[in-house]
Amino acid sequence: MLTVTLKPKKEIKISVEAENISADIFSGKTEKEIQSLVVWMGNQKTTIGELFSVKVEGSGPAADTKIVLEGDFSRVKRIGEGMTAGLILINGNVDMHLGAKMSGGKISVKGNVDSWAGREMKGGELIVEGNAAYYLGAGYRGESCGMRGGKITVMGNALDFVGEHMCGGEIIVKGNTGILPGLSNNGGKIVIGGNTSRPGSEMSKGTIIVNGKVDEMMPVFKLEGDEVVDGVTYKKYTGDVIGNGKGLLYIK
Amino acid sequence: MELLIKNGAVVDPVNGNKGDKTDISIKDGKIVNKVSSKATVLDAGGRLVMAGGVDAHSHIAGAKVNVGRMMRPEDSRSGISPRTKITRPCTGYTVPNVYAMGYRYAQMGYTTVFEAAQAIMKARHTHEELEEIPIIDKGALTLFGSNWPTMDFVREKDMDKLAAYVAWGLLASRGFGVKCVNPGGGEMWGFGKNVTGLDDVVPSFDVTPREIIVSLMKVNEMLKLPHSVHLHCNNLGNPGNYKTTLASMELADQVKASKNRQVMHVTHLLFNSWGGTNWGDFESKSDEIANFLNNHDNVTGDMGQMIFGSATTMTADGPKQYANAKLLHAKWSNGDVECEDASGVVPIYYVKQISVHAIMWAIGLELALLTKDPYKMLLTTDHPNGGPFVNYSEVIALLMSNKKRQEEIKTVHEAVHAKNKLPGLDRELDFSEIAIMTRAGTAKVLGLLDTKGHLGVGADADISIYDIKPDQIDPSVEHAKIKSAFSSAAYTIKGGNIVVKDGQITATPLGRTYWVDAKVPQQHHDEMMKDIVKKFKNYYSIQLANYMVQDEYVTHPQVIKAGSVPVEVN
Repeated sequence: MLTVTLKPKKEIKISVEAENISADIFSGKTEKEIQSLVVWMGNQKTTIGELFSVKVEGSGPAADTKIVLEGDFSRVKRIGEGMTAGLILINGNVDMHLGAKMSGGKISVKGNVDSWAGREMKGGELIVEGNAAYYLGAGYRGESCGMRGGKITVMGNALDFVGEHMCGGEIIVKGNTGILPGLSNNGGKIVIGGNTSRPGSEMSKGTIIVNGKVDEMMPVFKLEGDEVVDGVTYKKYTGDVIGNGKGLLYIK
Repeated sequence: MELLIKNGAVVDPVNGNKGDKTDISIKDGKIVNKVSSKATVLDAGGRLVMAGGVDAHSHIAGAKVNVGRMMRPEDSRSGISPRTKITRPCTGYTVPNVYAMGYRYAQMGYTTVFEAAQAIMKARHTHEELEEIPIIDKGALTLFGSNWPTMDFVREKDMDKLAAYVAWGLLASRGFGVKCVNPGGGEMWGFGKNVTGLDDVVPSFDVTPREIIVSLMKVNEMLKLPHSVHLHCNNLGNPGNYKTTLASMELADQVKASKNRQVMHVTHLLFNSWGGTNWGDFESKSDEIANFLNNHDNVTGDMGQMIFGSATTMTADGPKQYANAKLLHAKWSNGDVECEDASGVVPIYYVKQISVHAIMWAIGLELALLTKDPYKMLLTTDHPNGGPFVNYSEVIALLMSNKKRQEEIKTVHEAVHAKNKLPGLDRELDFSEIAIMTRAGTAKVLGLLDTKGHLGVGADADISIYDIKPDQIDPSVEHAKIKSAFSSAAYTIKGGNIVVKDGQITATPLGRTYWVDAKVPQQHHDEMMKDIVKKFKNYYSIQLANYMVQDEYVTHPQVIKAGSVPVEVN
């Protein structure tokens, strides 16, 4: 097994684009090779070795690679982008685009994640023990398909637009979410443990389950009556009726 | 500066060269008989040499291209290449940024490209972009088909005033030719309607598409414009529309050409050669269209070939785009150009396993293979409607290799076997025919054959060299080599300068913008202007004085003189 531990050498104040921190890229590389991988800090080209201390133990393929990020990564973006296998353990907070477009493997975060975590994710698993910011599992600007597969679990809260343009996969937020979760939803499943507001506008397919309170409903859903899902009775709505949508919205 | 290209296998149909080793001499940006011994020598090493590519129909600049960019931020995430010492940064695939337009055309060996539609009102924007597109020569066709003054003069049957208006509109827009999109439909769309055929009457104007098309052809020939009327037919994109297309093409017989070229160019025929009555019995009627072209010498067309994958449809055909957006549940942008035209932009993704898309893909290729004379069927993808222009090499490889077509047919929806003729077509085009569809033919259709599209003495020194040895390759089998060679030229020479070497940009000189200055008798102009002044006073939201594109916006002009009178002497 390959274990790579990264730790910032000093406080990172300017955001770093680190799509090279990924099990696929690290596997089969020596400590030196990993240190020389390019990252951008603002508009400056630099290397992983310049910014982080790198410790490498063992070796192995991507699927048998563990990356441990110690310390403050709250200004480091795009970690695990496009990852297909392996494990990334993050012991603090991270910046935007964590696990974007990942199709396999697992990322686990002890702290909080910034916006666009799991953006356009195709597979694999993302677990956040803290909170998530905006556009969790959404599609980036203009994209018509957000998350397409895999699973995202957030133990805390998430902000607005959870799973925007989602086409597949599953997002579970144990706490509350901001407004418009599942906006333009086109497939997949969103489960919200706490409260939210205006879920599921422009929904054409997919399922949203809200276990807490809904502050405000969009007037585009049709009440179909009660239905029991996993032993819990919900009010079942379908919509968005304006777009002839077939989305399902369950509210406790 | 002098340049001598030695040892090239020159394919130049205009001058009867089919791949013989011929030296090409270049001096001061032109091809000449002979250069001095001081000339720089470029050894082509037996590789294929053609005139620089000429594209007669592509959407490269202007308002709707920019709307495409704005509504497709996701598109700009592909095709990213950073700045180099010579080139600016590039982004995008279907709607690339301005610089990428020039670089990518040059990398394919293209040196002249015409933007296919600009409204006069939006022309200033078009020229701002054209001036920033590096390397290539360019120009823009101006929309006249649904303009209020056009329809007024057509109703009054006043061809003198209409000719004066077209001449003035070309000047106002610094335009190159007359584009006519879904004539009458653009105006009807302002009221949420469309025209369904050549004889629907446009309310408030009391004219029919038939009258608009014939009148514009007449004045186009009165003005002796280099290019003919460039028509986007009514009913585009509707099953069964081939009948409208045939009826429109028949109108060409009513007008006599003023020059050695067609009187009507019907564009992106892929979208106009559809049989059936709905999406269920949708089928190809490309044979009917090709048969018409084979029997008529006054009409030409272009393919508008579809490329599987991402595309952005953009057209002045506003009602069609509304229907598309509804059908596809896609993003939709609608535009209305006051008193002139409509427009719409809708992204689309062409999928091999969708029957309609597979049939459309085959229609484009059928048009090229069934039309006997390549001068009558130009190679385009109606960029970015059928697909981005960077895929021309794919189309060339498909046309040159039946083997590639059969391989491809196996991967697309089986409907092509029942609804298309493509599986049974074994014609394979040769290098000369490809050179006609991409160079000589396009230049001839545009009326630029004196300086573009060939390698004879006096032509612009726009030359492309591809990494193929025509005498050593069998395009039918080695289609992958054909595709890779045509996608990235070994050399592109623009106006005598080497601008591309081995697919990389080496210099970025600025190209010229072609526009046509057509003269009409002064009294016709004065009479017409009285009406225009009234139109501006009553209907337009801007002042007439602010309407014209000023010379400041066209800093590298190439003006072609035309008109119904000889240039007047005071």
